[in-house]
Amino acid sequence: MEFLVVSVLNGVVHGLLLFMVSAGLTLIFGMMGVLNFAHAWFYMLGAYVGFTLSRTVGFWAGLIAAPIIAGAGGALVERYMLRRVHKYGHAHELLLTFGLAFIIEEVIKLLYGDFPVNYAMPPYMKFAAFTIYETNYPFYRLFMGIVALAMFAVLYVVLTRTRVGIIVRAATYRPVMVEALGHNLPVVFMGVFAAGAGLAGLAGAVAGAFFPTGPNMAVDFGTLVFVVVVVGGLGSLEGALVASLMIGLFISFSVGFSWSLSDVLALVGLGDWARAVGGILTLQLSTIAASMPFLLMLLVLLIRPAGLFGDRQ
Amino acid sequence: MSRWGRLGLLALGAILIVLPLPLTPNLINAAIKMMIAGLFALSFSLAMGQAGMLSFGHSAYYGLGAFATLHLMKAVEGHLLAWPTPLLPLAGAVVGLFFGLVFGWLATQRTGVYFAMVTLALAELLFTLAPTWTSVFGGESGISTMRMNSWAINFATDTGVYYLTLAWVVVSTWCLWAFTRTPMGRLALAVRENEHRVRFLGFNTHGARTVIFGISTMFTGVAGSLLAIANEATNYTIFSAQASANVVLQTFIGGSGTFFGPALGAAVMTFFARVTSDLTRSWLLYQGVIFVIVMLFVPDGIGGLISLHARRLRATAIRHLTVPYLLCLVVGVLLMIGVVFTVESVHVVMSDAYAVLRRTNGGGMVPYPLFGRQFDPWSPWTWAIPVGSILAGAALLPIARRLTRRGWSQALLEKTA
Repeated sequence: MEFLVVSVLNGVVHGLLLFMVSAGLTLIFGMMGVLNFAHAWFYMLGAYVGFTLSRTVGFWAGLIAAPIIAGAGGALVERYMLRRVHKYGHAHELLLTFGLAFIIEEVIKLLYGDFPVNYAMPPYMKFAAFTIYETNYPFYRLFMGIVALAMFAVLYVVLTRTRVGIIVRAATYRPVMVEALGHNLPVVFMGVFAAGAGLAGLAGAVAGAFFPTGPNMAVDFGTLVFVVVVVGGLGSLEGALVASLMIGLFISFSVGFSWSLSDVLALVGLGDWARAVGGILTLQLSTIAASMPFLLMLLVLLIRPAGLFGDRQ
Repeated sequence: MSRWGRLGLLALGAILIVLPLPLTPNLINAAIKMMIAGLFALSFSLAMGQAGMLSFGHSAYYGLGAFATLHLMKAVEGHLLAWPTPLLPLAGAVVGLFFGLVFGWLATQRTGVYFAMVTLALAELLFTLAPTWTSVFGGESGISTMRMNSWAINFATDTGVYYLTLAWVVVSTWCLWAFTRTPMGRLALAVRENEHRVRFLGFNTHGARTVIFGISTMFTGVAGSLLAIANEATNYTIFSAQASANVVLQTFIGGSGTFFGPALGAAVMTFFARVTSDLTRSWLLYQGVIFVIVMLFVPDGIGGLISLHARRLRATAIRHLTVPYLLCLVVGVLLMIGVVFTVESVHVVMSDAYAVLRRTNGGGMVPYPLFGRQFDPWSPWTWAIPVGSILAGAALLPIARRLTRRGWSQALLEKTA
């Protein structure tokens, strides 16, 4: 029971974090058709900005500056780079962001070295929020969840209750029509790109203080974000939320299980045979947990490429 | 192919045959890696450039080809069966073709970004499974074995491996080139341009794309085999997204629209990586910067640039362009000096060694060593180098662009005259 409750809580918080990053990615894809490879690298940028400012000015200054700097970076990338290569097609845009991801990572390595940095939350946030079955649940995990929920609320209100939101949502579906109605579509694109990058930056600054902040964080997180966006349906915000929570829960549960295919086969009396074959049949779920998201993504792409909530492919 | 192109190929062939004579073992090894990377890029480019399928998971077939070859080599080493070393790449070809057809059948059901994601997912699955599946992929450490001499050829030295690689790369390249001339190869182009219309004409486009993908991965498997023969070992990192990314980068730097461009890009970038990775730890940064610059300003890559000159200009018209191109070179070198100096300075100043140096000298900003000299971080002369060269380059850039444009219009006039 303890395992269940703690896993659910951890999974939900992890899922909300995933959603913070994937929301921007899925909006950008829905609108511009660009799968922004560099998106998770804005998350990394946010974490390093948070780290730098937490050492000099303070933790909260980092939390405020990270989305601004990441957002400004996103705006520059859209305005001066993506727009240039737009005429060569989506493959070119994808590859450009891919090259940018490379550069961001290498510049960060240049400045901060190849090893994780010691980015930590302020000491007054290091306490247990509550105790369940003798497990002290850290307050900071709740804090991350609250930030993500607040962000979701703001995003939801902006998208559904304001004029800007109407234009953004319309541009996701019929960009040409929106432009024909007299809206400045390039500015909308730039704004969405910047907002997406900013959200990723905020997520980085918040999560980086709890999870390790290092040169690998973008690759590790970025692949998961891709999976989330594909499973939820490229371009669908609701899909991204549901898929984030699903994958967050899945990861927090799978590390605790030692099931393997041979155990499943044992249910139909083939357990001994499976153990004799060995190899892939006896791999435990916890050791192949890293592969499962990709398997899920593969299945979704092959069976329902529009994803859980997407309406196109 | 034009007369000049044919002569150029013959010259390249002749150079490649006599190349190992003057080279040191280290450079022969570099040449082997360049040829393998070239073949990998060519085979990737069959799927990407010809059929428009952007695969983000070609490292899967590269790695499978390498592992298949290593298992075969282990079997030969253990005297389980007799298989001549020069024919080992056939194992890579068979495995590459088989998995290419199976995975390709799945992946080619989708197009565009979705296709890229399926190939990425397949490669990542292998990458995450391989270290845990010890019996096939040898766990984290991978598997290693020894090359056997056969057909009275000595494969203990790099020279033997060089000629083995050269022969396989030449034959494979010819096959890939010949394939583009077949009706199937033409169909690949048609599928890239407009799949709907091809299907409407009655072709089975899914089948065609699967076969083209399979042929691409077959030669990728050969490249992986050659790598396995050259290194005599491999581990699961060969499946990494980094390896798939590298071939994409190299292909686009070389130019995916031309046949030989990708091979050129791969050879140049492999050599670049080999040279710069010894000199600086920031070489990946430089590689990324080169890639982004090519994407932004030379979307057709090096190969596209060369073929543009070959198609549009007469040999005599080049003289109009010598001065502008020399100026462009000067601009490029100035900007490069500025960027490299900045990056390397930052690297030295941020390093642990410099922090120690500062501490032993009382905590101030002491001079740092770079390129065999000492630079004072607060001296205006230190700052003048990058700032000055970047400013000079930026000032000359518009002039170089204007002169190049004028040179081009004069050179084009000569053709019509």
